[in-house]
Amino acid sequence: MLWSQNTSWIRPRDLYPVVYIGLMVGVVSAWPDLSDESCTLKVTFRSFRLILSWELKNHSIAPTHYTLWYTVMSKPDDMKIVEHCSNITASFCDLTDVWEVLPETYIPRVDGFRGNTMLVSCISDFFLATHVSLEPPDFDIVGSTNHINVIVKFPPVIPKILNGEILQHYLPLVIEEQSGKIVKKHHPKLNGNIIGNVTYVIDKLIPNTNYCVSVYFKSKVMGAINRSPVKCTFLQPGQETESSESAKIGGIIVMFLIAAVFISTILILKRVGYICLRNDFPKVLNFNNLSSWVFLERPPLETVAFVEVIHVNRKKKVWDYNYDDESDSNEEVAPPVSGGGYTMHGLTGRLLGPASASSATLEDCIQPDAEEPDQSEPEADTERLMAAWPSPEQSECCKSGAYKERGRLPQDPVSEDDDSFTEESGDKITFNVNLNSVFVRIPDDDSEVPPTSPSFLEETANLEDSDETEISFLAASGEGTQPPFASPSAECPWPEDALSDKSDSSESDADIRDGYIMR
Amino acid sequence: MNTKPDVIQKCLWPACLVGLFIPGALSLHCNLLHLHLREVTWQNLRLLNSMSNSFPVECLRETRAFELPQDIQSHTPPGKRYLKEAFYEMSTQAFNIFRESTTKSTWKKKYLKQIQIRLDWQMHHLEKCFEEEEKGKEDSKQMEEDGMDFSGAMVSQVSSLELRRYFYRMYNFLKDKKYSHCAWEIIRVELRRCFYYFYKLTLLLRKK
Repeated sequence: MLWSQNTSWIRPRDLYPVVYIGLMVGVVSAWPDLSDESCTLKVTFRSFRLILSWELKNHSIAPTHYTLWYTVMSKPDDMKIVEHCSNITASFCDLTDVWEVLPETYIPRVDGFRGNTMLVSCISDFFLATHVSLEPPDFDIVGSTNHINVIVKFPPVIPKILNGEILQHYLPLVIEEQSGKIVKKHHPKLNGNIIGNVTYVIDKLIPNTNYCVSVYFKSKVMGAINRSPVKCTFLQPGQETESSESAKIGGIIVMFLIAAVFISTILILKRVGYICLRNDFPKVLNFNNLSSWVFLERPPLETVAFVEVIHVNRKKKVWDYNYDDESDSNEEVAPPVSGGGYTMHGLTGRLLGPASASSATLEDCIQPDAEEPDQSEPEADTERLMAAWPSPEQSECCKSGAYKERGRLPQDPVSEDDDSFTEESGDKITFNVNLNSVFVRIPDDDSEVPPTSPSFLEETANLEDSDETEISFLAASGEGTQPPFASPSAECPWPEDALSDKSDSSESDADIRDGYIMR
Repeated sequence: MNTKPDVIQKCLWPACLVGLFIPGALSLHCNLLHLHLREVTWQNLRLLNSMSNSFPVECLRETRAFELPQDIQSHTPPGKRYLKEAFYEMSTQAFNIFRESTTKSTWKKKYLKQIQIRLDWQMHHLEKCFEEEEKGKEDSKQMEEDGMDFSGAMVSQVSSLELRRYFYRMYNFLKDKKYSHCAWEIIRVELRRCFYYFYKLTLLLRKK
């Protein structure tokens, strides 16, 4: 194929620019970048110190010392030497006080020497805002019962490159708490000016549990996250903490206040009269005589008014709705006979109050001439009387009739059917005693004043004329009251003969009023 | 069989929902604009970081001081008005510079395109927020606020001018160096520094 005449010949001089460009491209591509392959430079924060470290890739080259230079991109300045990192044997340099601007692009150069011969030169560029890695800070943990104190160690002075908003926005601190498979993250807020250590409390933890803590800085600006080594602690159970002690003290104070309010409320209500506090407690709650209560002893004699019933042997007559006269029967058992020839029946009346001074005795009423021990019939209804008399100290606000009635002779219905009717209610026993057939005596050793009983005389007179009556009788009361049938020694108005001849059927003219049988 | 009405009915309800939320979204947009600006600026910064492995050592001789305005480097929290205007100026000027780099730089194209998209988004939303503020000013009848806005506008105009000069210096540097590789690398490093300071401004605004 023949070339045409119009074909332009490619002359050699037209190839010169092409060759030149090719050579330049090759040379430019051969120029080393700042990321030199001979060594690796790295910038990191160790304990808040900016450290530049380097490592030679070719370990066969072992410089004896190094010198560090640097420059910045924002200013067209020449390389500057770092004075404290000149001719050093270490393969790192502290640049905390040299590189102080975070968004700046720094270009360091490390020259390795052996003697005066430079063996290697490494250069690189660092945009600190995105290239530097941040190592986790040092920290300690102190475990308690239910919380852990995490003490993060900060330097006394924060480097200028981390000052301001760096720590607050770019380096949020993260504290990880792990227990078993449960991991919780805590984000303590750091202010711009951090001075010294920072203590963070992880509370609301479970005692008797092992917890592990890790600390790191989380920042998308500073690159990857480096977690600190984990530190673990076991929370001891049952340790007293300040919070538990304060809670106890608070609880005691609250209980005290509640008790004070309750007591004051009760006192106010009592004063107002809304509630009545009883002073006359039941017998079982009477702790005045504690010893007797504890040992269940019989009350002392002085608290008991004994009534000695002198039984007149008289045939018991049961009215069978027959108005014919019947002979007496001697079916009753003969009562015990006293030394004086009288049939003694002790009627014990328990007095709630001191009754010894006023308890009158009827011993003087005993007539020694009465000698009918064997044939005297005890009243079937004559029993040991256990009458509980209320204390003279009445309640202040309770003047009910019930109490009054207790202070009086219990009402014993006069029964024409049965003169041995005995009614027992509560702590008292009422019984019917035919006064026509008995002498009543209340023993009182201390009493010098012979008890007077005008009513006794009166009744004696009445008995002489009236038929045998049946009255209810109770033991004499305590203080201040005279047994209705107490009589002086020389004045026993109850002649036995007069009593024995009386029948026991007719109604008495006694006036039953409020439980008393008045004559 | 007519399926169009069915399609319309199917799309009508979601469209109504979207339409109801658009005004709310737009009203919230300007109030939360600084959050969007923060995130977008940070993404642009990381893209600039990824566009080149390392700075060529031979380009160290051609470095230049472009003198970023001190207002941008300040640690004091800026006003919202000033922040929006500064961002708008920065977005506009940086977009113009990157527009030149599409044909004249050796950067990775996909990174370059993403940066341009984000800068365009910033400009578009800032313009809408400015329009809403202008409407609010027209409705306001308080003369004292107008006076204060006038003085504030003067300050913002000065700052915008300084910022514009800053970007003009970079633009002129590229032209003088004839868009060389070193010039682009130097501009890339400078824009990365500029974006970081704007990112810091958004943090200061949140702190305020």
